[in-house]
Amino acid sequence: MTPDKLKLAGHVKAINWNRIEDEKDVEVWNRLCNNFWLPEKVPLSNDVQSWATLTPDEQLLTMRVFTGLTLLDTLQGTVGAVSLIPDAITQHEEAVYTNIAFMESVHAKSYSSIFSTLASTKEIDEAFRWSVENVNLQKKAQIIESYYHGDDPLKRKIASTLLESFLFYSGFYLPMYWSSRAKLTNTADLIRLIIRDEAVHGYYIGYKYQKGLEKVSEERREELKAWTFELMFELYENEVQYTHDLYDSVGLAEDVKKFLHYNANKALMNLGYEAMFPAAVTDVSPAILSALSPNSDENHDFFSGSGSSYVIGKAVNTEDDDWDF
Amino acid sequence: MDTIVSDQEVAVKASKEMPAAWEGMSYHELNAMLNLYNSKGEIQFDADKAAARQYFLQHVNNNTVFFHDLEEKLEYLVKNEYYERETLDQYSMNFIRGLFQQAYKKKFRFETFLGAFKFYTSYTLKTFDGNRFLERYEDRVCMVALHLARGNEELALKIVDEIIDGRFQPATPTFLNAGKAQRGELVSCFLLRIEDNMESIGRSINSALQLSKRGGGVAFALTNIREVGAPIKQIENQSSGVIPVMKLLEDSFSYANQLGARQGAGAVYLHAHHPDINRFLDTKRENADEKVRIKTLSLGVVIPDITFELAKRDEDMYLFSPYDVEKVYGVPFSDISVTEKYYEMVDDSRIKKTKIKAREFFQTLAEIQFESGYPYIMFEDTVNRENPIEGKIIMSNLCSEILQVSAPTTYNDDLSYNEVGKDISCNLGSLNIAKAMDSPNLGNTIETAIRALSAVSDMSNITSVPSIAKGNDESHAIGLGQMNLHGYLARERVHYGSEEGLDFTNIYFYTVVYHAIRASNLLAIETASTFAGFENSTYASGAFFDKYTDGEWVPQTAKVVELFDGVHIPTQEDWRALKASVMEHGIYNQNLQAVPPTGSISYINNSTSSIHPIASMIEIRKEGKLGRVYYPAPYLSNDNLEYYKDAYEIGFEKVIDTYAAATQHVDQGLSLTLFFKDTATTRDINKAQIYAWRKGIKTIYYIRLRQLALEGTEVENCVSCQL
Repeated sequence: MTPDKLKLAGHVKAINWNRIEDEKDVEVWNRLCNNFWLPEKVPLSNDVQSWATLTPDEQLLTMRVFTGLTLLDTLQGTVGAVSLIPDAITQHEEAVYTNIAFMESVHAKSYSSIFSTLASTKEIDEAFRWSVENVNLQKKAQIIESYYHGDDPLKRKIASTLLESFLFYSGFYLPMYWSSRAKLTNTADLIRLIIRDEAVHGYYIGYKYQKGLEKVSEERREELKAWTFELMFELYENEVQYTHDLYDSVGLAEDVKKFLHYNANKALMNLGYEAMFPAAVTDVSPAILSALSPNSDENHDFFSGSGSSYVIGKAVNTEDDDWDF
Repeated sequence: MDTIVSDQEVAVKASKEMPAAWEGMSYHELNAMLNLYNSKGEIQFDADKAAARQYFLQHVNNNTVFFHDLEEKLEYLVKNEYYERETLDQYSMNFIRGLFQQAYKKKFRFETFLGAFKFYTSYTLKTFDGNRFLERYEDRVCMVALHLARGNEELALKIVDEIIDGRFQPATPTFLNAGKAQRGELVSCFLLRIEDNMESIGRSINSALQLSKRGGGVAFALTNIREVGAPIKQIENQSSGVIPVMKLLEDSFSYANQLGARQGAGAVYLHAHHPDINRFLDTKRENADEKVRIKTLSLGVVIPDITFELAKRDEDMYLFSPYDVEKVYGVPFSDISVTEKYYEMVDDSRIKKTKIKAREFFQTLAEIQFESGYPYIMFEDTVNRENPIEGKIIMSNLCSEILQVSAPTTYNDDLSYNEVGKDISCNLGSLNIAKAMDSPNLGNTIETAIRALSAVSDMSNITSVPSIAKGNDESHAIGLGQMNLHGYLARERVHYGSEEGLDFTNIYFYTVVYHAIRASNLLAIETASTFAGFENSTYASGAFFDKYTDGEWVPQTAKVVELFDGVHIPTQEDWRALKASVMEHGIYNQNLQAVPPTGSISYINNSTSSIHPIASMIEIRKEGKLGRVYYPAPYLSNDNLEYYKDAYEIGFEKVIDTYAAATQHVDQGLSLTLFFKDTATTRDINKAQIYAWRKGIKTIYYIRLRQLALEGTEVENCVSCQL
């Protein structure tokens, strides 16, 4: 063991949740805990019949979209969120990142639940092979990963926010689209749980980025802003390729691109920047936009699914007054 | 005749003009616009109308099979085994033609996209390949009327009127199936007991399969099954308790469905003082192990008064082994009153018992409800106090509104029946309160509804489950429900749960119960028969009528007097006459009313669900067969938004007060969902349960939670996101 590491061990400070430096840490921590879920709760097998009604092209597309998402969640769970921990401003922020990292791994595993419910082992293996071989998918993962391994903490947060708030959405489009057409609705419930989480993750990391900006010079801020837009553009170009590659077969690419614009703007807003795409090219299909809301307000039919609105509640003892009858 | 077969009509109220920006949009996209404000901050109701119109233009009209006239159509449908010949053979062609003409003359129009979409997705008759439509709304209504009227032309005409004018809406199984050749049962609900032996458990699995195949929800009482570790053949630690039985039932329901029309759905009820109660609840935990997790089976808990008393005093509650209780008392655990025998059983050393903290039990209940919406609750002693029929009610059903007595079945060693007991079935139909209040004659509307519902009971004979067939034969039980209370109140500019709102609810249900009993009495006179056991009911003794003959029930507010202008409110004199007639001739139906949650049918009927407040002004509805769609509350406009506070804003007290006002006039139950914001704690849920129990509520259905997006992550301009 190196002397450095020994020294570190000597200075570990116990986290004190009774001394809060940034209220946002507690708020987000609580929200993430309340939102905890596992894929086993969603009755995915109810989608088996619906899956059979998709054409082979649509099935292939769906498999590929989900493998793409699995790859991003794997990256975020094992590298991304973890890489943010050393730069955390507060200890509570560290705790939030560990929570994010864990949930990303839950997400990654969820896709496997979907696969094993709907597809055969051969199809699953082929989809995973595709994800390794697809140039655009690999490229976006590599771009983000290179900044995770880089030495600029603020750039790491930018990359992470763009991943959470932008790159996921080319994939999220599809289950929302299916659900608006009464296909794979239980899968969509599960994806909505993931969107519910990612919305908070992207927002929080973006917020911490803005906190970090407060501590650097005006010059450096300018540099980071320019860098953000450059990176966004690079990712966007690649994402457009990826979108065509995936969605051309079913004729949805144009609408997905609008959705990309919409979410690119959201990602930039999370980082505190102005929108990049004008309203004219962000007019996403209302069916998708309405479905995107991370509110848990679907009045679902209990007999066909478990819904995406339940949370873990706060347990409080009843008092004698409550039983006064 | 071409009105009947014209397939180019657009059965919605929508203007042909559409803003240019909406051109080329699909109906799903237009429907979703409902959930997004326009630039002036207004809800875009026109977009939903346009969606409905486009749905007809883009989908329905192109996919409807064309016939030249009604004769050709009926002939084709009978010959190809779509319609039942027997249904039509009861009438002359002349009459049938006149009936269809009467229906088409009403110019029925769907009010919303979801109404039309739901009808064409789930109810209408389709070609066997599922691709083309064979019926319009009017055709379905006529076939339901012809089927239920069983050759009685006058009744058929009345049923068509009531349904097409939107006053009466049969429940899904009846409305979906009546008159079709390939169909499930017309009955909505089944409730069965399971006794503490392997024959009964095996028969139950069989019943779950048979009844799911035919449609309707099935509920089982697990209370009598011995707990984990109970002895089998006197050898200790042998039984596996109720969980494995639940697993078997869950899988049975998933396997069988009604020709794919409805997923098999089931519920299980367990008594709070059963030793497996915590295991039972933990099956719905977020982190439950896969071996015990229950995903699609619904849970209900039966809670007696004593549990509340114990919690009040912050004491332990004892759980009793059903195996020992049955040995000691000679009757199944479910059939004794735990409140009455509690201390006797605590002191009886022959009964094995365990204990938990009563308050912790209630807290656990609330925690699970937070995580999953379950379990339902049935307040055992309230239900039995209010029951006019001899016997004990031990359970409720999948929607927690059916409350009827049952009796156990016994089996021989070869699985044949020793004594066939009495299990429960119920067929439902609901009145649209707004339309019923507009009725030219509310009493006639209710009478027609009771006749239509009784017809379903008369025509049902489910031989595959003899205890159900026997129960139905003896009881003719039906459940007349109600919906659109909130829609009606808002239309009349009355706030839900306000003094006037409660006053209306009370007087409305008071009027309904009078006519329901009057109609059932008429049926008894016409058929010269009553339900079995009438003579032991409080209807026969006359005690049931005391509160109506001794007390005076009149509106307390000027507004409600005004609302009932032109609608006769039964007087004490009316009740005395009815009492005398009932005591002399009896009533035909053992049970008359039950208020179901009305999901699907309220969309078609343009109603708010049941007597709940709305979940949202623009409801986001998610179902397996529909996907995600948007539904505007009935009569909502940009001018009367203040009357459309949603259930989460209204709070549990007003909901419970409204249900309490109705409950006192309903012989069975009312599905009562409670709505909480995610800022609520388990204590808030417990307080609501205590309040409901004190107010005389009989059952609680789901707990629904709404969590809003963290500030900064929401979608802009979204109607359902704003409060």
